[in-house]
Amino acid sequence: MAIKLRSFSTHSVTKTIVFILVVILITATVSQMQYVAYRDINPDCLFVREYKDSEYFFRNDVYNSFMLAYDILNGKEVEQDGTFYYYIDDGEKTYTNSENTDKSFFEQYDKAFYAFERGIWSLGRNTNPRPMPIRIMYNGLNNNHTVYIAFTDEFLEQKQKAWADDRSKLLPYAAGILSCIILSLLLIAFLVCVTGRKPYDLELHFSKLDMIYSDILLVCFIMSSIVWVVSVARSPYRRSIIYQAQPFKLSISQIYSMIWVAVITAVISVVCGLILLSVVRRIKAGRLIKHSIIFIILYKVYDFFKSLFDGRMFSRYPLTKSLFYRQVAFITASALLMFLAFLSLISREELFFLIFGALEFPIIYWYIKGNNKTYEDINKGFNESLEEQMRSERMKIDLVTNVSHDLKTPLTSIISYVDLLSKEEGLSESAGDYVKILSEKSNRLKHIVSDLFDLAKSTSGNIQLDLENIDIKKLIEQTLADMSSEIEKSGLAVKVKLPEKSVNIISDGKKLYRVFQNVIDNALKYSLSGTRVFVELEEADGRAIATIKNTAGYEMDFTSDEILQRFNRGDKSRTTEGSGLGLSIAESFSKVCGGSFKVDIDGDLFKVTIGFNIDSRRLLT
Amino acid sequence: MDDARILVVDDDKEIAGAIEKLLNLEGYEVIKAYNGLEALDAIVANNIQLILLDIMMPKLDGLSTTLKIRESKNIPIIILSAKSEDSDKILGLSMGADDYITKPFNPQELTARVRSQLRRYLQLGGMGKALCSSQVVIGGLCLDTDKKQLMVDGDLVRLTAKEYKILELLMSNPGIVFSAERIYEAVWNESAYSVENTVMVHIRRIREKIEINPKEPNYLKVVWGIGYKIEKL
Repeated sequence: MAIKLRSFSTHSVTKTIVFILVVILITATVSQMQYVAYRDINPDCLFVREYKDSEYFFRNDVYNSFMLAYDILNGKEVEQDGTFYYYIDDGEKTYTNSENTDKSFFEQYDKAFYAFERGIWSLGRNTNPRPMPIRIMYNGLNNNHTVYIAFTDEFLEQKQKAWADDRSKLLPYAAGILSCIILSLLLIAFLVCVTGRKPYDLELHFSKLDMIYSDILLVCFIMSSIVWVVSVARSPYRRSIIYQAQPFKLSISQIYSMIWVAVITAVISVVCGLILLSVVRRIKAGRLIKHSIIFIILYKVYDFFKSLFDGRMFSRYPLTKSLFYRQVAFITASALLMFLAFLSLISREELFFLIFGALEFPIIYWYIKGNNKTYEDINKGFNESLEEQMRSERMKIDLVTNVSHDLKTPLTSIISYVDLLSKEEGLSESAGDYVKILSEKSNRLKHIVSDLFDLAKSTSGNIQLDLENIDIKKLIEQTLADMSSEIEKSGLAVKVKLPEKSVNIISDGKKLYRVFQNVIDNALKYSLSGTRVFVELEEADGRAIATIKNTAGYEMDFTSDEILQRFNRGDKSRTTEGSGLGLSIAESFSKVCGGSFKVDIDGDLFKVTIGFNIDSRRLLT
Repeated sequence: MDDARILVVDDDKEIAGAIEKLLNLEGYEVIKAYNGLEALDAIVANNIQLILLDIMMPKLDGLSTTLKIRESKNIPIIILSAKSEDSDKILGLSMGADDYITKPFNPQELTARVRSQLRRYLQLGGMGKALCSSQVVIGGLCLDTDKKQLMVDGDLVRLTAKEYKILELLMSNPGIVFSAERIYEAVWNESAYSVENTVMVHIRRIREKIEINPKEPNYLKVVWGIGYKIEKL
């Protein structure tokens, strides 16, 4: 049941209906208030039953009667409508509109009777003891004056009747406005409770509106409120000409005005309502303040200054931290001293000026000394890291050499004893087979170890280079001739296209031979039988570009990067002989020799491109 | 010759043992030493005809041992080392070693090189000098320009006319690099055009005849991207 209620109350349809209802109620409230205002009925009559107790009576009738009394005292000619009796005696003359000037006559109108005798005001028994402003009560009156003012019962009764009439007219509207307000407050409270909730979970949900920064939203809220106040205040407020007409009717302009106010109220309350609900959701999530531009800016500023002092700012530059602090301290202290010196100069205190000036010197001394120490530390740290780097470089080289030695020594024993074993007579047939396998595998291991160290040396930069001016065209021809028996054995046709002239580059011929040997060997090993291997060399933009292309005999399901990664074999099964390092060595050697090495895989086409800068010096001769 | 005595110096006893067996099978007598100092003592105590020497050893390393031996003796020294850089080989040979084999070695190659060195030392009596003016001697190679024949470690090797001419050209100018064109023009007496392959094929054939391991030639070397030469030993 509770779940059902929850899923109903948090449903978006419910929420929308409630929201619309609230807007309607608010609009209705405003319209009713406007209508009441147009009817020009004093809303006081709702709260004060007796006309004589009302603010209106006091501010109009009583006030006017006092003013009249003063006018008379000041000798002005006045007319009086007979709503009240007065008796005024200034000690010499008396003024009255009553035939009976006895005080008791006045006193009988005790609902509104005011008397001034011997400097003191007194009231009738049932008169509302509302205080008059002093400037009005003692305006030119002294102890000799006597003033009686009493409103007639007839007048008050007539006014009371109208007052009660107004009250009965206003009461339904008041009830309407009140109930609208209460109802809308209840509904708003409901919306505040359910906003951000959804029927299917307990999470707080946000709308797109909630992504806008809080302060922007707040400005929108204030702006629309101002728009509402201004447009309501400027709406044509005209009293009905037929005010006294019975029954009461609104004028055309008043009707238009009411429609206008109603529309703008509805629109603004929709805007403000949405903003308000968004604010409520933010409060629920505790991010009203956090999700505001001002907060973000202030936080960034705060964070920046905090990072200066909690070390975060210098976590990557620990050496310059002290420099920064010293600089700040130096600038602050110097500025302070200069300011003080300036002050003493203005106030002509030469002694203080000299003291402050002299104080600057120890600060400069401290600053320079501290900085020198820091620079020393920085240099030391830098040298240390440089040394460390060199040491690790040397260690890397030593590691390669030592590991190489440690691997090769046992391998030497293995190969030698396997060879001795194979020469042993009287071995069984199967033992002979095993020895053969051992011999093959140990020889393969020898090649792998040798390749591995070639690669390790060249990638660690620990390789001896014998750079000279060589003809890459000749080198390719030599390599192909050197490999002619392998090429013949493979059954593949090698198509060679080389330029007529020699192509001179600066490189290490032995290493470059290994490069071409490995690449061509790779092509021979992995080509589809019966296909052609293309070896080409051309000059382009001052570079010698050699390409070796072949058609793979299997699907190449790897990228060109993967094939160059050490120990990655073209075929993942790793069955054929070889170390799997051939292309890696070729790449590494090419780069060490100053060339470029690129592998392209396009379907079954495997293409290696090797590029070197042409050495133009030889071309001139 | 078969009773030649060989000193094997290696701090790894298993390797020394294996070499001993290998050489015993070939009919040589083997004396073992496990560091440089022991090796020097063994040389004094025995009549040694050849030394197989490791470089990385305790007490006295192989290079220093070579220098010490060369102060008094002329026996062939073959260095056996895991150090495979060219610079290591050049250093070892310049210290006075006669050959350089890298570990792990091929046993057949080892015995072949041992045989070659022994033959040159024992049969041809120290080598290094031509017997008469018509002979060009480089290491174990001896080219007789009169008889137009080549001896490798004392054995006659049959060469074709072109092969002989190439070797004659290169051996008369040891250490000098000849391009394929120059070799072709000199040997074939024709202007060279696209001859790299032809020359290279001949070079490979010659290598198979004169080198113990044609893949790692001792004498006839390719200078990649430039040409060919006979090493000056």
